[in-house]
Amino acid sequence: MVWQGTLALMVLQTLDALGPLHGYGIARRIEQTSGDLLSVNYGTLYPALLKLEQEGYIRSEWGVSENHRKAKYYKLTRAGRKQLAKEAHEWKQATSIMDRFLTPAKEAP
Amino acid sequence: MRHLRAWFVRIQGLFARNRRDREFAEELEAHLQLHVEDGIRSGLTPAEARRAAIIKLGGVEPTKESHRDRSGIPFLETLARDLAYATRMLRRNPGFAATVVLTLGLGIGATTAIFTVVNAVLLRPLPYPEPDRLVYIAMSFGEPGDHVFSYTMDYPAWKNHSRTLSQMAGYMRFQANFTGGGEAERITGAYATRSLFPLLGVQPMMGRTFTPEEDRPGGPPVAILSHAFWKRRFGGDPSVIGKALTLDANTYTVIGVLPATFLIPDREESNYDLWVPFAIGDTGKAKEILLQVIGRLKPGIGINAVRSDLEPLMQQFRRKRSVVVSDWHERVAGGARRPLLIFLCAVSFVLLIACVNVANLLLSRAAARDKEMAVRRALGAGKGRVLRQLLTESMLLGLLGGAVGLALAFWGKNLLIALISRNLPALDPIHLDYRVLAFNLGLGLLTGVAFGLAPALQASKVQLNESLKEAGRSAADGRSGHRLRNLLVVFEVTLAMVLLCGAGLLLKSFLRLRGIDPGYRSDRVLTLNVNLTFSQYPKPLEQTRFFQQAIARIGVLPGVEAVGAGTSIPLGGYSMSVSGMTIEGKPDTDVASSLVMVSPDYLRTLGIPLVLGRYFVDSDREGAPSVVMVNESFARRFFPGENCLGRRIQNPPRKTDWTIVGVVRDIRPWPQVAAAPEMYLCYLQAEQVHLRMSGGEMGSEMGLAIRTAGDPMNLAAAVRSQIAQIDKSQPVHDVKTLEERRAGLLAPRRVNMLLVVTFAALALILGSIGIYGVVSYSVGRRTHEIGVRMALGAHQGQILGMVLRNGLELIAAGVAIGLLASAGLTRLISSELWDVSATDPWTFAAVVTLLAASGFAACLLPAWRAARVDPTRALRYE
Repeated sequence: MVWQGTLALMVLQTLDALGPLHGYGIARRIEQTSGDLLSVNYGTLYPALLKLEQEGYIRSEWGVSENHRKAKYYKLTRAGRKQLAKEAHEWKQATSIMDRFLTPAKEAP
Repeated sequence: MRHLRAWFVRIQGLFARNRRDREFAEELEAHLQLHVEDGIRSGLTPAEARRAAIIKLGGVEPTKESHRDRSGIPFLETLARDLAYATRMLRRNPGFAATVVLTLGLGIGATTAIFTVVNAVLLRPLPYPEPDRLVYIAMSFGEPGDHVFSYTMDYPAWKNHSRTLSQMAGYMRFQANFTGGGEAERITGAYATRSLFPLLGVQPMMGRTFTPEEDRPGGPPVAILSHAFWKRRFGGDPSVIGKALTLDANTYTVIGVLPATFLIPDREESNYDLWVPFAIGDTGKAKEILLQVIGRLKPGIGINAVRSDLEPLMQQFRRKRSVVVSDWHERVAGGARRPLLIFLCAVSFVLLIACVNVANLLLSRAAARDKEMAVRRALGAGKGRVLRQLLTESMLLGLLGGAVGLALAFWGKNLLIALISRNLPALDPIHLDYRVLAFNLGLGLLTGVAFGLAPALQASKVQLNESLKEAGRSAADGRSGHRLRNLLVVFEVTLAMVLLCGAGLLLKSFLRLRGIDPGYRSDRVLTLNVNLTFSQYPKPLEQTRFFQQAIARIGVLPGVEAVGAGTSIPLGGYSMSVSGMTIEGKPDTDVASSLVMVSPDYLRTLGIPLVLGRYFVDSDREGAPSVVMVNESFARRFFPGENCLGRRIQNPPRKTDWTIVGVVRDIRPWPQVAAAPEMYLCYLQAEQVHLRMSGGEMGSEMGLAIRTAGDPMNLAAAVRSQIAQIDKSQPVHDVKTLEERRAGLLAPRRVNMLLVVTFAALALILGSIGIYGVVSYSVGRRTHEIGVRMALGAHQGQILGMVLRNGLELIAAGVAIGLLASAGLTRLISSELWDVSATDPWTFAAVVTLLAASGFAACLLPAWRAARVDPTRALRYE
């Protein structure tokens, strides 16, 4: 269960951390990072990739995988990097606010 | 921003569709393979690894489909598919497609052509900078109609003190004799204030416009030429600036040439031949110079503020008049609005009828395609999907019809313009612009929906089970489809009825007008006008001598039966009115009458019958007693029940004393205007009858009427050359037959009538086709039933009657509603009618008869076919 906005952020972060990567690699990385809490299938991954590409945050080109297989590689664009910084910042802010809401006991004097 | 970019990419995605689909499939396949290999590496067998991967990753096809939807624009792709399908359908039924496209093309074409004119006249702004700030300023005496202003009295004060207008200008039409370089010509020019050209934002093509010194009484005489006049009379001479030209024996220096596009949007005159400064006309004499005033509003000033600004500036003693300010475009085009809207209304009725016919055609076809729709539905197409496909088809038809219509309008507009340009103000050349194109496109789409919606709704309601069963009766063919078709026919007849009533009324009033006896014989008469240059012929004696010579020379030309001259030939020239005269023995009478000066043979030449006394004779000359002839209206008005012969009309202060020697029949040059009192004076006595009222100019402007044995126009050249031989600097103008003059007067009404009658005829034809279509369709559908009836003993006559009755019921319903509608709607054209009431029962009765007859004829053929059905074959039919 991943919702679109967060999946897009995860994709951008993955590409930022690992450099150009194919769809399978992105999916594995997200699953691994989540400690296998998330499961990414075709239906969630590829629409997100298409949308990011159409918005110009990522670019794709055909390449050869580590085991010599033809695969499409996705790469972060400059706009994508900016978007990542912006969204990561917003996300952190949002989670820290939520954190403060959900752990109020500490604040009591 | 990002959304825009995404859409842009999606539009790109519409192309190279197949390659992208293939690539995506490859990408998914690679993903799967990588997954499987990882599985194998972690110890699964290839089969297990593959199975696990497929389970985890989900269905490939749905992913592909959603990918496809997201990478393109599914709406457009469906549309493209529907369009391709629709094109295929139409190509397979070329007869059907051609009928629909032509019917619509005719309707849309006519509508577009009319709209082209509406656009040019009513919608397009005047061709000057900031046209919405241009106003026309007129004067009112409180009665209907407005008047022009006095240059000397009002204009200077306004121009200098107005707070609401940033610029103000005046102009006025004049006519003059142009001589020098070829044949003398009567030209139409205009006086203009210097401000006119800057106000309209017009730069001369060559030279300059007026300077302040020239725009002042006593300034140097200069002239600016129109482009057309420069081309025509100066051969487009590039060195024309500084050259001299002669108008009415005065010399003017050419200072500029206007661009070809320049025009003044007046009703009568658009292209003045040349312009001279207004102040030239202002000779400082008592004679008032009148002018038409236009102004440019200051920014932010409303049109209503102008009146209260200008009125206080009018000279004190003239204050009983008020100022009327109107939008210039409205002033120029306003008069054309009603007829144009009537045309637009009439033509849209025709278009509606065309749509109804097409809708009926589609309904019948929908019945035939019932099964196709049922199959589509059964295969999973939703109701909306079927509806959409059918609407795509009908819109395609509409657009094709629109394209045909555009072509028709393109060719037809010239015909239309040639026909109605006389009724329109002179505006920019009428052409197809983006507004017309948008209108045409909109019309195509709209008609597509209009005629396609009902059949499409009908078809999408198809009953699956019933239709799929071979023998089942389809929904579109059932009761509701039948009722819809009938309703459409009734609607169509109603529309045709209204249109025919309007056309009938216009036709009747035109015939009434044309049928009015003008009081003279207009056949075989050539007419022309000569306006002598006054400075060359200042005395009545000289004027008379000129025309005497002309009459003598023309009279001996072969083929001439009679020649006469008059200051006002019927339908041309001007008439003069006098008042303040009395009758001997009736000192209280104020004789107000119009006055015409004629040659002795004039009345005889025009065939105006003598009622009492005698015509003028050659001995009614200077020195003989002054004589006058009057018309019957005059005699009735001033001598009721008395004999007027020998009575005297006097004006003692002017020493006028005219004896009545004859009474002639009234003539009615303008059919719309009733005859009024009229006096005729003999021009051989011009000197002694003291026509000072016109400054002596009256006898210099004469019309000649020449009764000929053959075609009058054959004599035109000979007559021109005879007059040129007397004095070649006196131009002849308006050479026309008397019948042309008369027809010209009725031309606007004739055109209105012809257009509406044409549309009504189209409506009648389309309506009859519609009735025919529906009745024959219903006969075809009922063949089996008819066969049964005949097998059970019905006569041919009974079958014939049954079918006819069905058709005539529809027509009767349409006629009944149409009568009510007409009674309500014809009031809207009552201002275009003459001597015919808007609900003239005879016209309505004639229209009902006509509609019923053509409806009957349209039903007859299918009814006849029904009656000849062979029962044995009909029973097997189905």
